Formats: sequence, structure tokens, C-alpha cells
Amino acid sequence: MKSIVCLLASCVLCSAAFAADYQVEKGSTLGFSSTFQGERFNGSFTRFEAQIRYDAANIEASKFDVSIDLASASTGDKDRDDTLPGSEFFNVAKFPSAHFVTRQFKRNGEQVIAEGTLTLKGIDKPVDLQVTFVPKEGGATLDVTTVLKRLDFDVGSGEYADTSTIGNEVEVKAHLELGAKP
Amino acid sequence: MPMKSSDTRWGSVIKWLHWLMALGILGNGVLGLVMVDMSRGMDKLNTFAIHKSIGLTVLALLILRVCWRLYDRAPRDEPMPRWQSLAAHATHGVLYLFMLALPLSGWIYNSANGNPLQWFKQFNLPALMGKNEDLAEIASETHEALFWILIVVLVAHVGGALVHHWLERDNTLLRMLPFARLRARKTGENP
Repeated sequence: MKSIVCLLASCVLCSAAFAADYQVEKGSTLGFSSTFQGERFNGSFTRFEAQIRYDAANIEASKFDVSIDLASASTGDKDRDDTLPGSEFFNVAKFPSAHFVTRQFKRNGEQVIAEGTLTLKGIDKPVDLQVTFVPKEGGATLDVTTVLKRLDFDVGSGEYADTSTIGNEVEVKAHLELGAKP
Repeated sequence: MPMKSSDTRWGSVIKWLHWLMALGILGNGVLGLVMVDMSRGMDKLNTFAIHKSIGLTVLALLILRVCWRLYDRAPRDEPMPRWQSLAAHATHGVLYLFMLALPLSGWIYNSANGNPLQWFKQFNLPALMGKNEDLAEIASETHEALFWILIVVLVAHVGGALVHHWLERDNTLLRMLPFARLRARKTGENP
């Protein structure tokens, strides 16, 4: 019995050791899109940091930890970009960054799902990411997508909560160019 | 009330279009003047959305109206001096042009500014061109300038109608009013 526990423990340790740590390189993007008055608009966060550990052979050993500078949101429309940092939307003065950290990784058929917690505007909610990890020489590309409901996080509160004008669903898409950590 | 116009009075279709569009144009003018000074917020966004929706409605009604005018006759002019008749028809021509140019310049401004265009939250219309800040500024100034010129032309239009109604005492205004009884023609004129 003892030996089995030892074996299991060493397996976990081994697999953790094989899981690779990556650094985010140039060409990485973190985008979001929603609708305003029936028309889709796209935005992105130009500043974010991500700690990425991933092991395709043992996904349980993977971990994503991402911090997003909310003041870096940009959608190509001046009025909108001036409104986003305000208290009704991201409230950057009080909550300068959002944070996502994974709890566990799962497989749904071929699709890898990263289950985690997003903390945005002081609100914690479970968020699942669809993960596509493609190894390449010296690193990998990592694409994740999910759909959030902005009102779950009180983004666009008060008069802006009207979802007939501003869509509740927000698609989030990140594309990371990963390099092996030296 | 017959749908089609007769020799002496406008039909119900043209009356409806005339007064609906008059209401839409004046209402939209007031909305337009109010909305630009509103502070940023949902009320401003919604007021702009209603202004755009009314503008699109006026544009659609204009197309209907031009089609109907091509299909139906217009009543004969009330007896009046030739210069008055010419002035009235010129004013009408200019009004038609403005009813086209105002919504179009607004649509161009909206497109060049990169804003969505939605009709009363029901459906969206495409942008006429891509985002272009210089064009947006020109279109915005044109839109407002056209509005003020339209007001001057409307003063002439309404003033003319009232002069005919109160001073000439003819049917120029009455034949466009719903439910109005026409005045008897002056003696010595053929109907």
C-alpha cells in the first residue's frame, strides 16, 4: 500500500516536472467583442501578463494565471474608450486589473477545457476556457476562447445594464505566442 | 377621403405622407438640437438612436412619396399670379431635395464616424463607407447647415401657405388639410 502511494506521488511529481513553463512573446493578443445597437464591435487589452504552464500529455499539471490591465482596453471608438474605465464599466480607479487563474483542466472529447475563476470588478465567477495548444519549435501557440456575461461582473451597470442596447454576452479570445522559459 | 388626388384637392395618401413627414422633420430637428448638448450616457445614446430611426423613416416615406407622386396626379394650382406659382413649385423642389439630403448626410456622418445604424432596435442598416474622420467632420457640418437652410425654406413654405389661406383666401392650405371643407371658387373661374 505504502509503495503504491509512493508510486502515485512520484508520478504526480514527475508529471509536474514535465509540464513546461512558457513566457508570452510578441504577437500575442487578448481581444473581446460584444454588440452595441445591434452591431458587433471588437476591442482588445493591450497590456496583460500571463503565467502559462502546460503539459499536453498531462493536462492536470497545467496552470494559467493571467492579469489584465483594464485601463488598456481599446475598441477604436473614442467615446466608448473614454467610457470603459469609468465606474459603470471597469471602474479602473478602484479595480485596476482583472485576474484569471485556473482551478483544473479537463478534456471534453478532444477539446481541452481550462476551468478557472475570473475576478473582475471585485467579483469572482467561474469561467471555462476552450483551449487549443499547438506546440512549435522553441515554444507553442495557445488560443483560448470563452463567452462571458458582462452583467455577471457588473460591467455596464445602472443605465448601461440595458442589454437591448449593449449586448450582455462578451466573447473573449486570446492568442498567445509562447516561448519556452529559459 | 379618396386615396388619389383630384383636380382640386390632394388625396389621402399624399396628406398622410405630408403631415407625417412634417411631424417627423420638425420632431427630429428638435431632437437633433437637444441631443448634441446632452451629457454622455445612455440617454444620449438612445436619443441619437431615435433621431437616426426617425431620419430613416422620413427617408423611406420620401421614397414612397416620390413614387406616389409619379403614379398619381397633383391638383391644379389655385388661381394665382405666375410668379407665386413658380415660387411655390421651386420651394417644393428644394424641399424634396432637402428631405433627401438631410437623412443622407446624417447617414454618411454616422458611417464615417463608425457608429451603428439601427432602426428602432429592429434591424441594422449598413454603413455607406468606412470610418473616415475628415469626412465625418464635413458630413456633420453639412448635416447641420442643411438643417438650418431647410428651416428657412420651411418658413417660406409655411408662410406661403398661410398667405394663401388668410390673404388670398384660396384653397392652397385647405386642400392639404384632412377633413377640411374647400372654399367655393371665386366667381368667373372655371373649376
